[in-house]
Amino acid sequence: MSAGMVYATRKFTFSSAHRYWRDEWTLDENRRVFGHLTVVHGHNYTLEVTVRGHVDPQTGMVMDLAELKRVVGDAVLARFDHADLNRDAVFAAGQIPTTENLVRAIWDVLAPKLGAERLWRLRLWEDPTFHVEYFG
Amino acid sequence: MGAFRLTRTYHFSAGHRLARAEFSELENARMFGQCHRQHGHNYAVEVTVEGTLDPATGMSADLGEVDAAVQKVLLERVDHYDLSSTVPELDGVISTGENLARAFWDWLEPVLAAGSLRRVAVVETENNAFEYFGAGDGVAR
Repeated sequence: MSAGMVYATRKFTFSSAHRYWRDEWTLDENRRVFGHLTVVHGHNYTLEVTVRGHVDPQTGMVMDLAELKRVVGDAVLARFDHADLNRDAVFAAGQIPTTENLVRAIWDVLAPKLGAERLWRLRLWEDPTFHVEYFG
Repeated sequence: MGAFRLTRTYHFSAGHRLARAEFSELENARMFGQCHRQHGHNYAVEVTVEGTLDPATGMSADLGEVDAAVQKVLLERVDHYDLSSTVPELDGVISTGENLARAFWDWLEPVLAAGSLRRVAVVETENNAFEYFGAGDGVAR
């Protein structure tokens, strides 16, 4: 059988609140840059996690998806689902909880657990009309 | 830190038919099948841009600018028009998903931030989608 790498993607969903706001800026500056995003609101996020690798001949799998579910559940969903992103440590320190920064924060917690070689792509949907892809 | 690729999805509805003006109805029917009859679709267009992160805003592209550009040069040209007859910019273009993806690329590329456009996808129906990555080194990834 062809021996190339196989890419496996699993979807996860979580719901979070956020607002875009820089404390060191005035209200007008914040409104000019972020518009209505300065007001606290929320999204139903969808996270697609793609892992890649050679198929284990014993299991026929790239990765045990139950393990992937456990890792993402513990590291991502437990932390961000029904949470206020602005109160999360990574964003409270000054990063704006944009989709870009959130996907990067998720990459940073998943890459060490899944292995940088195995984790190929994260695709984070903020809503059905907007998503960001990050490859590390 | 690598680059981020941002994709926005837009919708428009338009009429079209696949036909060559110099062909007879019979020839068009033979070449394009049922698509030669006047019909229409609820199209989705996915526009992917790439950028590096601005640490102050946490953003790697100005989605407001992308939205405004797509609205002006794409949606206003095609939404509720007939792609086969009432869009001057598509005169002479057979409005297949492939050709629409290429045309939309040509319309968007000059008005988006320089070098930022990575992909245009035209989703004609739930079953048919057409992606274009540009004439340069665009790669499907």
